[in-house]
Amino acid sequence: MKIIIYISILMFGLADLFAQSISPSTESSNEITQIEKEISVVDFDAIKNILQKDKLDQSVQNKQNEVNTIQEEREKKKLQLYHYPSESDFWSFASELWLVRNAPLLKWDFNKPDYGIDISFQTVLETIGYYEKKFHVLLVNTPTLSHIALPTNNDETLFIISVPFIRTMDLTKLEISILMLEDFFRLEKGYLYQFVKTSELVEIFGKNFYDKGVNPAVVNQVLKKYSELIFQKGFNFQQQFEVTKRMDSVLRSHLKLWGAYNTLLNKIDQLVKTNLLYDNYNRIYPSPEMQIKWLTPKAPLI
Amino acid sequence: MKFYNYFHKLNGYLSIALIAVLFCSNSIWATEVSKHIGIFYYKNIFGHIHLNPTKDSVSLTTIACGHPLNVTDTFKSSGVDWFIVNIDKKKGYVLKEFVSNQKPLCFQEKYPKFFNSLNLDLTELYYWGRLYDQYVRGKSRVQ
Repeated sequence: MKIIIYISILMFGLADLFAQSISPSTESSNEITQIEKEISVVDFDAIKNILQKDKLDQSVQNKQNEVNTIQEEREKKKLQLYHYPSESDFWSFASELWLVRNAPLLKWDFNKPDYGIDISFQTVLETIGYYEKKFHVLLVNTPTLSHIALPTNNDETLFIISVPFIRTMDLTKLEISILMLEDFFRLEKGYLYQFVKTSELVEIFGKNFYDKGVNPAVVNQVLKKYSELIFQKGFNFQQQFEVTKRMDSVLRSHLKLWGAYNTLLNKIDQLVKTNLLYDNYNRIYPSPEMQIKWLTPKAPLI
Repeated sequence: MKFYNYFHKLNGYLSIALIAVLFCSNSIWATEVSKHIGIFYYKNIFGHIHLNPTKDSVSLTTIACGHPLNVTDTFKSSGVDWFIVNIDKKKGYVLKEFVSNQKPLCFQEKYPKFFNSLNLDLTELYYWGRLYDQYVRGKSRVQ
């Protein structure tokens, strides 16, 4: 019987200890400490002479210094709550926020089979010598957006690919990977950053807004820029030329990949010329026909 | 007399069997209740605790980064590691790669006032959690 009582006491003790360890701390850093209360209650100036006589003035000064340090620390902690994100934290957050806000339009929350894109793209990256590159792929169930790579932090890339776009052209895993590689180089060249990174955004990176108040318009403006580039404006001919030339130079020594890129561009060219659903594609990525010309080796002059 | 001996023997066997059954059931019960891997913390900005160990399974609840999870067991399904967690006295599943044994430095804790200013509604919280379930992840390695 005694043993049972001892075990019960021990278990209650352990449970209490466990509960304490996972429950949030009740002590808040904003609470006024005992020493601050003492300093605020006692009027030391009124008893200055008595304190000097008892040689306690130095002790009071020490306490006052301690209170000042506590208050400075508290103020510092309070200010830290009012920071805008630094650039190193911003891009992943902004890209994800854009995806969340556009979820009903992009329709990415749907059941899909495993297309094996991760393994295929990993192989392509390794073949061309791009190692230790992390990537995320989000498949969308809409033709509104065909494909894009969005900026993130931590040396990662976030790819968005449309399943209807893949299905309409009956793309192979290798062709999807080549499409992703093109997006990867487009992102690497910084075209999206240049377009989205407004001067207002650059100004607020890592800044404190305790005095001015937060300006949510800056983030909304960035999200609008994302939408503008992805759905309306797209990339220009010069940018497309540079990306195509980059693809050409990287893939030229891997004939299988180069051939797949050529086939992919031909498939896209046919799609945009025949399918009305993708007539906007040329505006976003101009133009598959020109890309094929840029890619095709010039015939030697005889 | 013979019948009495036979009955006595049978009674003995039954008693042993009964004790064995009681012992086994007790040990199984003890395993289920006492199994506890530890407290882990959710790493992504938002996430879901699923009813079943699949990414498309129903969400029991949406959790935010830093949420402590009482992990009771592990489960492997189609090569993916899951943690079984207790949440509101229910059993749920969360992807092992989404949790950490140390409290992470979450975006919403690092920039609380900025994050609150976004005024995310419940649908957006739900979608943000679903985003991590929907990602296909990969990484190239040195050959």
